Amino acid sequence: MIVRFLVVFVAALALAAPAAACAHPRTSLAYLEGQVMCPTCHTTLDQSNSAAAQQIERFISQKIAACWTSRRIESALVANYGPAILAAPPHKGFDLLAWWLPIAGVLAGALVLAVGVWRWSRRRGPEPEEPADSGLDEETERRLDDLLARFD
Amino acid sequence: MTGRLKLTAQVLALACVAGLLALLVWKLTHQEHAPRVGTVAPGFTLRRLVGPGQVSLESYRGRPVVLNFWASWCNPCKSEAAVLERDWTRYRDRGVVFLGVDYHDLAPDARSFVRHHELTFPMLQDGSGRVTGSYGISQVPETYVLSRQGRVVAHLAGPITDAGFAADFRSALAKAAA
Repeated sequence: MIVRFLVVFVAALALAAPAAACAHPRTSLAYLEGQVMCPTCHTTLDQSNSAAAQQIERFISQKIAACWTSRRIESALVANYGPAILAAPPHKGFDLLAWWLPIAGVLAGALVLAVGVWRWSRRRGPEPEEPADSGLDEETERRLDDLLARFD
Repeated sequence: MTGRLKLTAQVLALACVAGLLALLVWKLTHQEHAPRVGTVAPGFTLRRLVGPGQVSLESYRGRPVVLNFWASWCNPCKSEAAVLERDWTRYRDRGVVFLGVDYHDLAPDARSFVRHHELTFPMLQDGSGRVTGSYGISQVPETYVLSRQGRVVAHLAGPITDAGFAADFRSALAKAAA
């Protein structure tokens, strides 16, 4: 009985060990493949099958197995290849422009559109109403109807 | 008021178009091309792949230089490595300098490559591809042979083990070393 318990305990320990090895949740190759560029083909790794991309994927897999965080892996790649290895520019310094300019552009476009629509709707004003009365007396109106009826 | 607003919008639109046009012109005029034979090769300073320190191309002015661009993930570079090492040992006494430039490569893998192929000529690291870009490199291996004045004597866009390139490489090497 004790032997059986020990066997189960050791097996559970062996299965749990890899999961417990990392002090934080492991990042994934699939995630980083979308964040890292292939330096020779200028697409993200997940869209490339080049030798250079495969080399970086192997590096990432090794580092994930060694419990490196995604940030640490990205830093190591930047140290080796430079900042252009990342698909998105960093959220600091001059690179912030790459994040904020498109948003500013969309907002400015929406503002211009809103002002344009508002001005256009004001310029048009209310539709002119149909005159309720033709201004003709009954006799003239009857004669006019008769004349028009001849052309029908 | 309406006229002023319209004019402002027109000026802004024109400024946007002019900006985009300027970007296009800048991009077209700053595209990097491979230096042609007879022109001075672009200068550079790169850190060594093995060992500390940096190496600048200008420091070799007065000596012929063979500049070989390679990467550890490149299969033709493997067959070329032994030929380059053999030529380096043959020509070094005649003052010829061989420089290997590692292109878009992981440094540990590149160092393993150098050890495995027992390469003894100086190896430089160009992880960002800045220098390889200035030489118009789009694939590896590629080799430039530079004269003592730093001018391009030959540009071989492929492995020097290829029949077509081997003779050109030898003749360029002999010409540069003369």
